Amino acid sequence: MKRTLPLLLLAALSLACVQAAFSQQDMKVLAPAALGKLTRPAAQFNHDPHNEKAKLDDCVICHHGGADGKQDKSVSTEGTPCADCHKVKSVGKNTGLQRAYHKQCIDCHKAKGKGPVACGQCHKR
Amino acid sequence: MNAAYEFVTGPLAWLAWGIFLLGSAFRLASMYQLAKAKDAPSLAFMSWSYSLRSIVNWLIPFNALGWRKSPAMTVATFVFHICLLVAPIFLVAHVMLWDQFFGVSYVTIPDSVTDILTLVVIGACLFFAGRRFLQPDVRYLTTGKDWLALVIVLAPFLTGFLAYHQLLDYDLMVILHVVAGEIMLAAIPFTRLSHMVFAVFTRAYMGSEFGGVRHARDW
Repeated sequence: MKRTLPLLLLAALSLACVQAAFSQQDMKVLAPAALGKLTRPAAQFNHDPHNEKAKLDDCVICHHGGADGKQDKSVSTEGTPCADCHKVKSVGKNTGLQRAYHKQCIDCHKAKGKGPVACGQCHKR
Repeated sequence: MNAAYEFVTGPLAWLAWGIFLLGSAFRLASMYQLAKAKDAPSLAFMSWSYSLRSIVNWLIPFNALGWRKSPAMTVATFVFHICLLVAPIFLVAHVMLWDQFFGVSYVTIPDSVTDILTLVVIGACLFFAGRRFLQPDVRYLTTGKDWLALVIVLAPFLTGFLAYHQLLDYDLMVILHVVAGEIMLAAIPFTRLSHMVFAVFTRAYMGSEFGGVRHARDW
């Protein structure tokens, strides 16, 4: 009986992790609920194939930490939805959600010289 | 694609804006010098009240005699100029770019509305082209420069419409659209499009002469 509770908790936790991992695997578009009704078609993003192609092994490259508008690449935040930190309407120095997505994707694609950079390359009809 | 996109949205964009702003300043300054050298008395007659009176009266559709004489052209030109300015300035995608490049953001209008405004601009361009073909007096006065101005204005709206709807090759279309917009900006000081910078002074000159010298209305 003493062990049941911790075991149950462990099971719940691992289930949550697996779910989170699966949900990223299944991820095809970036359409956070926080943004509500979208102006353009949702940006296409296949999480796993993208990272395989871009040779991104380290989660923190995208899932960064930080505060006050400064990124902190030493703190990994995978599992935390972007919208938890990046509010739809930017607060203080923090980057707003839409701007965060645009900068995250486009700045990297520009730096690498590969990947979509113009509106319709991600927001496909 | 990425190198081309970065070039047209980077250095080429700075160049186009530079030519537009410095070129316009240069044209205004040299026109002022020319007026001073060739028609100095006219500068002495320039008046704020007669200038503004003329500008305001010509800004009201069907108010000036010139507007009333050709109603179709009046509607087309007013609608065209309003859509021409409103569509690109308040387009969501353009404001996104201001935000992306400079962190500047302002009010936008819905894409469905901008789509209609764009079609209105394209339609008005076709109307102007038809008028240059079919109306004898206009046809007689039309030169290559008029057609050039029309094509330069039509191009960014046509490519913008095709890029927005992702018809034909998107990657090519979006680059053509950016380049077409930059050609338009850079062409403003040096083509028929210079009326964007000169119109207000032309009107002021006419208004001042008619008001101060002939004591008559110029609308």
